[in-house]
Amino acid sequence: MPLLLYYFLSITAINILMSWALYLPYRVAHLHFLTVANMAISGYLSGWLVQSLRLPFGVALLAGFAAGTLVGYAVSLFIGEAPTFTVVIVGFTFIYISRTVIENTPAVGGTLGMFGLPLVWSTPEGHRWTILIILGVMLLLIGFLIHRFEHSRLGRAASAVFVDKDLATSFGVDIKKLGMLLQTFASAVAGGCGVLYGFIYRSFHLDFFTFHLVGLFMTIIFVGGYATMWGTVVAAPVLYGLSLLLPPAVASWRIVIYGAILVGVLVLKPEGFITRRLAVNVERLLSSKRKS
Amino acid sequence: MHKKWFTLLPVLLVAAAFLFVGCQKGGTAKVRVKVKEWDIPFLNCLTGPIASIGEFLEWGAERAAKEINDAGGISGKPVKIIGVDTALDPQKGVAEMSRIVQTSLVALGPVPEPVIMAAAPIAVENEMMTMTATTSLEYAEQFFPWSISWFPKTEDRLPPLVTAWAELNPEMKSAVQFLGNYGPWPGMAAAHKVGLEKAGVKVLSDVEVPQDAVTFGPLVVKALNQKPDGIVISCWPEKAAKIVQELKSRGWKNMGRILLFSSADDAALYSTGGAALNGAIIYNYINVDVDTPRWNAFKEAYAKDHNGMQPPSLSTNYYDAVYMIKEAIEKTGVTGDPKKLKEERKKIADYCRDVKNFQGLLFNWDMAGGVPTNKPTYLFEIQDGKKKLVKEIRA
Amino acid sequence: MQVFLAQLINGLSLGSIYVLLVTGFNLLLLVAMIIHFSYPQVVVFSMYIAWVVLRYTGNSIPLAVLASVGSSILINLASAPIFQKIMKNREEVDINSTMVVSLGIGMIITDVLSHGFNNGLPIAFPQEVVGEAALFRVGLISLQYGQVASLAVGALAVSGVFLLLYKTRSGRAFRAIAEDPSGARLVGIPLLSTGLQSYALSGLLGGLIAVLLALMLGYASPGLGEQVAHKVLAVSIIAGLGNLPGGLVVGLALGILEALVQGYISGSWSNGIAFVVLLLVVLIRPRGLFGIKL
Repeated sequence: MPLLLYYFLSITAINILMSWALYLPYRVAHLHFLTVANMAISGYLSGWLVQSLRLPFGVALLAGFAAGTLVGYAVSLFIGEAPTFTVVIVGFTFIYISRTVIENTPAVGGTLGMFGLPLVWSTPEGHRWTILIILGVMLLLIGFLIHRFEHSRLGRAASAVFVDKDLATSFGVDIKKLGMLLQTFASAVAGGCGVLYGFIYRSFHLDFFTFHLVGLFMTIIFVGGYATMWGTVVAAPVLYGLSLLLPPAVASWRIVIYGAILVGVLVLKPEGFITRRLAVNVERLLSSKRKS
Repeated sequence: MHKKWFTLLPVLLVAAAFLFVGCQKGGTAKVRVKVKEWDIPFLNCLTGPIASIGEFLEWGAERAAKEINDAGGISGKPVKIIGVDTALDPQKGVAEMSRIVQTSLVALGPVPEPVIMAAAPIAVENEMMTMTATTSLEYAEQFFPWSISWFPKTEDRLPPLVTAWAELNPEMKSAVQFLGNYGPWPGMAAAHKVGLEKAGVKVLSDVEVPQDAVTFGPLVVKALNQKPDGIVISCWPEKAAKIVQELKSRGWKNMGRILLFSSADDAALYSTGGAALNGAIIYNYINVDVDTPRWNAFKEAYAKDHNGMQPPSLSTNYYDAVYMIKEAIEKTGVTGDPKKLKEERKKIADYCRDVKNFQGLLFNWDMAGGVPTNKPTYLFEIQDGKKKLVKEIRA
Repeated sequence: MQVFLAQLINGLSLGSIYVLLVTGFNLLLLVAMIIHFSYPQVVVFSMYIAWVVLRYTGNSIPLAVLASVGSSILINLASAPIFQKIMKNREEVDINSTMVVSLGIGMIITDVLSHGFNNGLPIAFPQEVVGEAALFRVGLISLQYGQVASLAVGALAVSGVFLLLYKTRSGRAFRAIAEDPSGARLVGIPLLSTGLQSYALSGLLGGLIAVLLALMLGYASPGLGEQVAHKVLAVSIIAGLGNLPGGLVVGLALGILEALVQGYISGSWSNGIAFVVLLLVVLIRPRGLFGIKL
């Protein structure tokens, strides 16, 4: 498989998954930036397990998911139904704390970073296919779960909370439980992504997990469309691909272009490119085609 | 018949002599180069927080390319530096490197460390040399033999340097170090400590500088409260300048007892610090006062393009890297034939890793296994944004 | 004791930066219902404009102040229609949309500064303008002119903005159009001109803050705004969104906390510890220490 294609697919998959991890809590109006900290924590943990304890990659990946779940759950006990602002501060706090702890922990490389993570298969080609398959499975599984969620009572409850929290409560929606569920699930996804992110690069560095990632995932969600899961699927490859296709003279102004796209989309198409109506219409069309 | 023979003989002898001499010239029968142009990609940081550093690194590489082309190119073909901006984004870095390894013989960069860590393994897997000429040995050696280090081992190079500084200030018995927790800097700080202790200077503490610090009063008060005789500053250039200003505003007088480390020697240091830096000592790896036509032309061109500023020390690294690639291509007979890509990549890598007496812009040095030997370091005094040589040190 | 006092002053100085920025941030919140996450970047941009004017006018401070204020007002007025357009419900604060839009604006500003000014290098304000010698120095205790000015003006700005918004007719009009545009129209408040005035007012404050920061810090860099943006948002949230006196108290408190942590514990832990404290506060009091004032 061409290398460029591998990196394009794998990094796009990570961006989609992480944007979904931000999208889910956002369904109840929570900007859950803790997910970026989850990436870092689970990623470094898995790297340490593989390099220092010589555990197999599969075990490290599961540990990454588990760590993400635990952290997400523990934090959600306090902020499951907190106001949006509180959730934002929690996210920032954990990003700062995780960075500080990691940079002061020599066992995980400290400020230098973690080098030379082993291949997850016996050959580089095998390694790439394994990563891609895992990412593909995650995309399908998590995408399926989010899709089912959106078409379930829980999904409708989340929409109600997004529009009017008090009204949703009066209809019997348990906001705290719903918030906890979404936050925990999001953190679990982020934990797994953190592990895979590092194994794509075969290294970890603190600057892989910065506030820049927060901006990137927010851009993907809001440009693609924050009302459905499909917006992310469209926006992630387009935004990543755009950065690779721009000619050098234009590429140096990439950040200005992204900022302008973000502002432009929010002004002209506030719901993003893929609106809920569009997604519903496409689903109806596909299901009617299937019936006929 | 005999007359004809005697007439022809000298001609034959001369022809034979030419043939003999031609064969003696290291076997450099003219290499049939297959490229129209040598494209050398440079994975650099041209936008984002360290864009100013990326700019002068690129400038140095472009300058070398221009000189080479003016002198006839590499094996008669022009060289072009293809700047590839990664903006400190590892996502972009890996995608660009995976493009580069398809066809390139060699690459410059990546810059800086997060992109190196993400993208250099791709170069290693594809057995292509990537010249990370601005990072420490601790990073570069992870990718040997497909990288080379521009710097020797930190623990070998820095202690004698710092000892030399301490010896310039014999009354200095204690010091405090300001440290930015980034990349190899803690390792450099540890090496500073070794050097200071060797000179009998006690390091009272390391004062950690947060990456997003905007005021430096608390840190400077913490340092000064320990009553140090000397200060070592190992953090970001702009913050280093502010720390010096803060020290001065709180009564620090003896500027010669402030030592700034090499990574602070950047345009941002001088543009932020200005005259407040006068008298402070900084160490680095190039001596700007060397008087050679080549270096004088470089300095003049740099000053012209950068508002009269002196070239920072890293500005020569990729300049030298481009010349090293030129030398490797010409001396190993690289043709640029795509069918020989793997073999020619190895030739370049092997040559660079063990090059002897490479004639850099400012000094000559040898490489042994990808690690430079016999590179000098210098102590300078800063005066009005320029560095005056105080001492040269060789480990 | 001397060290403690010195760190306290350092903390107040750092805190005054947060107070100034939070006041401008809260003003925009109160008069326009927008969370301008990148307000610090707008201020930094104004600092750059002031620097350019100082360079080309031989350090003319009045012109630099005018330019700084002018640029801040212009940016605010230019971004006003963008914010108004994307807010779906103008009676409530739409943190998500406005935060994301301001993120985009911040990205543009930071990158323009990296490309277009001083080759992306930090800028230093002239010593003649900033002042070199300390106003007062005893041992480790030192007070610079810029520190005194920003602390004093910070307190004055909070009081002034508070008085303007809550005790004057114009201020009430600003708040009315932010909280209930239809109601404001009904009572005869001209929406367009009042709205523009409110944005211009926050621009004026932004320009003045830029000048004060220039005096106090003596430098600026393209990334300076980003470095403080998270803390400015945090201070506003912890204090209570729109709470001006709360912003003053929490801003100063955060500055003092950071200074003490840096001075007595560790610089690299200062952010972590500061945010943990902020986090604990917000968990105990989700509506902020002093209550939301929207």
